[in-house]
Amino acid sequence: MSGSLTVRVQRYRPEEDDAPWWQSFEVPWSEDTSVLDALNHIKDVEDGSLSYRWSCRMAICGSCGLMVNDEPRLGCKTFLRHYADADEIVLRPLENLAVERDLVSDIDPMLAHIETVQPWLQREQADPQGTGEYLQTPGQMARYESFSHCINCGLCYAACPQFGRNPDFLGPAALTLAQRYNLDSRDEGRDSRMPFLNGEDGVWSCTFVGYCSDVCPKDVDPAAAINQGKVASNVNYAVNLFRLLRGGDDA
Amino acid sequence: MRKPLLPRQDALWWWRHPAYRRYMLREATALPLFLYALCLLYGVRELGRGETAFNAWLAFMGSPLIIVLQALALLAVLWHAWTWFQLVPKILVIPTRNGSVPGQWLRLAHLLPAVLCWVLLPLLAWWALGHVVGGAA
Repeated sequence: MSGSLTVRVQRYRPEEDDAPWWQSFEVPWSEDTSVLDALNHIKDVEDGSLSYRWSCRMAICGSCGLMVNDEPRLGCKTFLRHYADADEIVLRPLENLAVERDLVSDIDPMLAHIETVQPWLQREQADPQGTGEYLQTPGQMARYESFSHCINCGLCYAACPQFGRNPDFLGPAALTLAQRYNLDSRDEGRDSRMPFLNGEDGVWSCTFVGYCSDVCPKDVDPAAAINQGKVASNVNYAVNLFRLLRGGDDA
Repeated sequence: MRKPLLPRQDALWWWRHPAYRRYMLREATALPLFLYALCLLYGVRELGRGETAFNAWLAFMGSPLIIVLQALALLAVLWHAWTWFQLVPKILVIPTRNGSVPGQWLRLAHLLPAVLCWVLLPLLAWWALGHVVGGAA
């Protein structure tokens, strides 16, 4: 199984261009040629000025996200053989993010949102060193494990029309990570994360479009995580109300 | 110096992918339901204005256009309920000793009461109507 395919790439060179433009290349492919391989072929043989991000080639680093025929995909996990019947494949940078150059998107807004929800294990008081690990049963781990597979590739942000409409929306990956740590039995940071989940740009800005889960290359299911976050947000609201009525603070 | 292209969501974003079109169809079910709710509110108002007004409202509800609207509202509510039941397992996670309650069971647990209400409520309304009319006679 082999052949050649027209690969149409969106180009944008900030020093020279005021608007993006299209460039087509004829790329030979065999059964194991990925979109990333095709881009490497173009850069090595056809046009060395083409810019794109990549690193691991095995869907771990999350660097090579781009739009393939209008769908957010990882370049390394998408193969040209699946487009053998098409006239061409069209590559452009991830939707909903600013474009720095060619296929390179600015993922800083996404990383800032992820940082906002404090995605790390928090303890009110850390155990003294040398007292061993924080233990967890397989059942406790199963509650959050699938949400921990996120590789921060940004495909879910490219798939999310709510993030496209409102870039302040914390978005699928950040809210999934918040839920991942809130569900972790070793974590005690829920109280510091919930204000962000409850806020205007938190879980309630999600309208369950669900496309984020379709495009996730690691089957994380962000739509499930966010909407479980809505349940958690409701519970948190009730708890806060109870605290308020008892005359406590409204934290 | 940086000169990034800024993202811009065009008005027709929802047309670009089947997943978005399905989402918009689900959300658009609110429109016929909104119109149907207006019809019902209008009915409540006419009920307060006396028998002649109420009978005029009944005739209005029986007009072909409004019957089409009611059929649309019925289809919309059925479609919305169906899509919602499909999403339930993503939201409702009930832990058990060996994992969690299977999604299929959760869907059934929503679908069965819905079907039951669908059968029982019209029967109840039909019975109550006969009772009231019978009582009046």
